[in-house]
Amino acid sequence: MNDLNIAATSNTPGIKACRATGRVSLSGDSYPENSFEFFQPLIHWLENYLTQEKQPLTMELSLAYLNTSSVRVMMDLLDMLEEAFGKGIDVSLIWFYEAGNERVAELAEEFKEDCTFPYLVTPGPA
Amino acid sequence: MSFPDIPKLRDVFIAQDIMLCFNGLFTATLIDEIGKALRNHMQHHDESPTAITDVFSVYIEMTQNIRHYTVGRGLVDNKAISTIVVSRAEDGRYTVSAGNMVGANDAERLCKRIAELNQMDKAALKAEFKNQLRQPREKLSENNGAGLGLIDMARKAAEPLWVSVQPIDDEYSFFSLRVII
Repeated sequence: MNDLNIAATSNTPGIKACRATGRVSLSGDSYPENSFEFFQPLIHWLENYLTQEKQPLTMELSLAYLNTSSVRVMMDLLDMLEEAFGKGIDVSLIWFYEAGNERVAELAEEFKEDCTFPYLVTPGPA
Repeated sequence: MSFPDIPKLRDVFIAQDIMLCFNGLFTATLIDEIGKALRNHMQHHDESPTAITDVFSVYIEMTQNIRHYTVGRGLVDNKAISTIVVSRAEDGRYTVSAGNMVGANDAERLCKRIAELNQMDKAALKAEFKNQLRQPREKLSENNGAGLGLIDMARKAAEPLWVSVQPIDDEYSFFSLRVII
C-alpha cells in the first residue's frame, strides 16, 4: 500500500499517512462541501492499514476548524480506531488545538467520551 | 432601469451594523472567499479566536446548507438567489442571517425542527448532536444535510434561533434564519 501525501487547500486539510511509521497526520481547516468524498482516500488507507498491517498507528490531528460534515467523518475515523483497538491493535490519537480557541478542544473532548484507546487533547504545537 | 441608491443602502448598513453581505447565487468558491474575508475582517478587529470560529462556523453551515438545498432541488434564476448577512449585535454579539427559497413543505418542516431545538438546553442539544451524528449517512442526506448543521448552530447560539417564512407562491416560500452568537 502507498503512503498518502495530500496537500492542504484553503478548505481541506493536508493529509499524511506513512505505512512504515504508522503515523497519520491531518492539519489545517476542514470544511469541504462533500467531506465524505474528500476523506475517502484516508478511509481506504486506514481500512487497509488496520486490517492488513495490524501495526501500531498514531493519528495526529491539528485541525483549526471543522464543518459538521467533517465532524461526521471524524467520528467514522475514530470508530475505525476504536474497533482496531478492540482487536488488540496499538492505536493512539493526539488532538492538538490552538490555545485560546476552545471550540476544537471541546469537540475533541466530546469525541473522547466515546473512545477507550489512548487519546490526548493538548494545546500546540505552536 | 433603476440604479442602486448608495446613500440609502449605506444608511441601512450603518443602522444595522452590517459587516458583510451577499445576495445572489452561492457557489462553492464564493462561499470560500466570503468566509476568508469574514475571518480576516474579524481578526483585524482583534476578536477572540473562539468568537471568530463561532461566527465563521455558523456562516459556513448556513451557506453550505443553502447551496446544498438549492443545488439538490435544481433551483435556478430568481429561485436560486439567496442572501447572507453578518452584522454586529448588542453586547459584543454577532448576528448571522440568511434567506433562501424553499418548498412550502420544507419550510414547515424546518420551522417545526427549529422550534424543537429552541426548546432544548445545552445538554439536550449535545445529546441530540451525538444522536444525529450516529444516523446512517443515507438518512443524513434525506434531511438535505441540514440536520447536523442546525443543531450545531443552536449549540453556538446565545439566543433561540429566529425564523421567518414568507410565502412566495403555491409552491415556494422565502425562508430566513437568524442566529445570534
